Amino acid sequence: MDFYLSLLTLFGFRILLGLSAYVVILTGQISMAQAGFYAIGAYVAGAATSMMGWPIFPAILLGGAVGGAFGFLVGFPALRVRGLFLVVATLAFTEIIRMVFLNLTYTIRVGERTIGPAGAEGFRGITYYYQNGWSVLQIVAFTWLFVVAVLLAFWIMDRSRAGAVLRAVGEDELAAACVGINLTAAKVAAMTAGGLVAGLAGALYAHYATYVSQEDFGVLLATFAIAYPLVGGTGSVLGPIAGVLFFSLLVDGLRFLGDWRNLLFGVLIVLMMNLRPHGIIDVGLVRRAAALLRPARPSARAGD
Amino acid sequence: MTDLALDIVQQLLNGFLFGSSYALIGIGFTMIFGVMDKLNLAFGVTALAGAYVGLGVFHLTRGPFVLVFVTAVVSSGLIGLVMELACFRWMPRDYPLAPLMATMGMLFFIDEVISHATHGRPMAFPAPMGTAMMNVGPWLLRGDLGFMFLAALAVMGLLWVLVYRTRLGLATRAVSQQPVAAQLCGIALRRVNASVFILTGMIGGVAGALIGSAVGNLSPLLSLPLTIKGLVTAVLGGLGSIPGAIAGGLLLGVVEYQALYFFGIGYRDMVTYLMLFAFLVFRPGGLFGQRAGR
Repeated sequence: MDFYLSLLTLFGFRILLGLSAYVVILTGQISMAQAGFYAIGAYVAGAATSMMGWPIFPAILLGGAVGGAFGFLVGFPALRVRGLFLVVATLAFTEIIRMVFLNLTYTIRVGERTIGPAGAEGFRGITYYYQNGWSVLQIVAFTWLFVVAVLLAFWIMDRSRAGAVLRAVGEDELAAACVGINLTAAKVAAMTAGGLVAGLAGALYAHYATYVSQEDFGVLLATFAIAYPLVGGTGSVLGPIAGVLFFSLLVDGLRFLGDWRNLLFGVLIVLMMNLRPHGIIDVGLVRRAAALLRPARPSARAGD
Repeated sequence: MTDLALDIVQQLLNGFLFGSSYALIGIGFTMIFGVMDKLNLAFGVTALAGAYVGLGVFHLTRGPFVLVFVTAVVSSGLIGLVMELACFRWMPRDYPLAPLMATMGMLFFIDEVISHATHGRPMAFPAPMGTAMMNVGPWLLRGDLGFMFLAALAVMGLLWVLVYRTRLGLATRAVSQQPVAAQLCGIALRRVNASVFILTGMIGGVAGALIGSAVGNLSPLLSLPLTIKGLVTAVLGGLGSIPGAIAGGLLLGVVEYQALYFFGIGYRDMVTYLMLFAFLVFRPGGLFGQRAGR
């Protein structure tokens, strides 16, 4: 049972990471910076509980807030560069953050132990859950509290004016600007939201793992962050979840293939993109699903 | 002259020569982007895979270096064609994110094939120049780097002839300027795209073989740095510009070697990325690109 609960916790981090890339992709931007925000959230929140003695809840929020602040900062220069330049620029951001943590050493002594980021050795001793005797179930519930909150927030956003604005910018920037949408505000807001959610995910991950190291936050993590929404689809918040399930089921479900699993992994991504270029749950599928549901609920039409 | 100045010039020379391989990788990224308006993230690993096939032939036949080189070039060209078929041909034309993700899958796949075939261990690559050195005044010219530079120069010369003096080159330039107009003029878009993928694949094969012989071995760990450096080079030069990629590659080589000398290996890449940021903010079009980023 504990194994499945751990898996569920891991799904939580991945879904949050996928959602953080999703909100940026809605504006038509591809950000490889999510791994950088995730790393920042992990180190900041880890330091808050283990080095400064903060309680867990404000520490996680702090990780998210600092991630969001960096998202805001990256958002502005990112406005000058578009599309594929942004991929490279944000990739550079993630790598710079990784190298900062590679070279950062700041440890303190707490009782018998040395705690804090120790350069290449990583950051050990983020043991809030264990010091306070949390059960696996409590950790899952705490993680999914944030996952559900973010999912709900994005679900509501998608149905509000804000969601329409983000999608309009993503579809066609010129047309969006012509109808009076403030491109700067939309893109920076999306980047900030993405940074916030990635920071939360990193903060939760750090406390689950108890040990983080810059190695975990490289290009591969950034790639997966955008792979979840791109493979899962950006038609709805369910898209990144579908992406996480696709990758996680591949990784664990193909285990019986042994070494060949990794070979098939890349081939399946290529195949998926050829079959469903806009992802599993794309805008078309969401519209068809909505059309199917509509006659069953005539009351929903009354509001139109 | 002081020792410091001597060392700086020596690093300048090494960086400039090694930068020619970055230039070749950057040309590949930039040409594919030029005709397709889409990024092929698997280009770096295409170059590496070609070099590995060349190495495999070397281990089977113990043939001369020319054979290794030619095998690498031909197989990279074929892998380039596979890339076009698998990741670009059937994709929607106006949605660049799908091929981006597909080439990422391809990168994972080829990476795994290489790791699988070599058990993840680095393998020695034949060096045609051995450890030959030449004295140029007080400086040393490494034979393998000199060979790399000359070979890269030859490839660039051939490419120039191909792009500016042949019908295929004319078609390629037309497609990169305006694909729809080019198609209306009777240019077979798919054939041009496929040719560009084969051509850039072959250039990648040259780069892979040259890097293999200069570094002395090949390892699956090379695929990520090759990809990132190729992207950085293409962006420095301005995506879509071949002269830009050449200048960007040489600049990247020089800056990397100086950063390595002054700050050490831990900070080398950081200096590169900071330079990239400076370019993106102050000159987003790159060295030779249009003024605004695309």
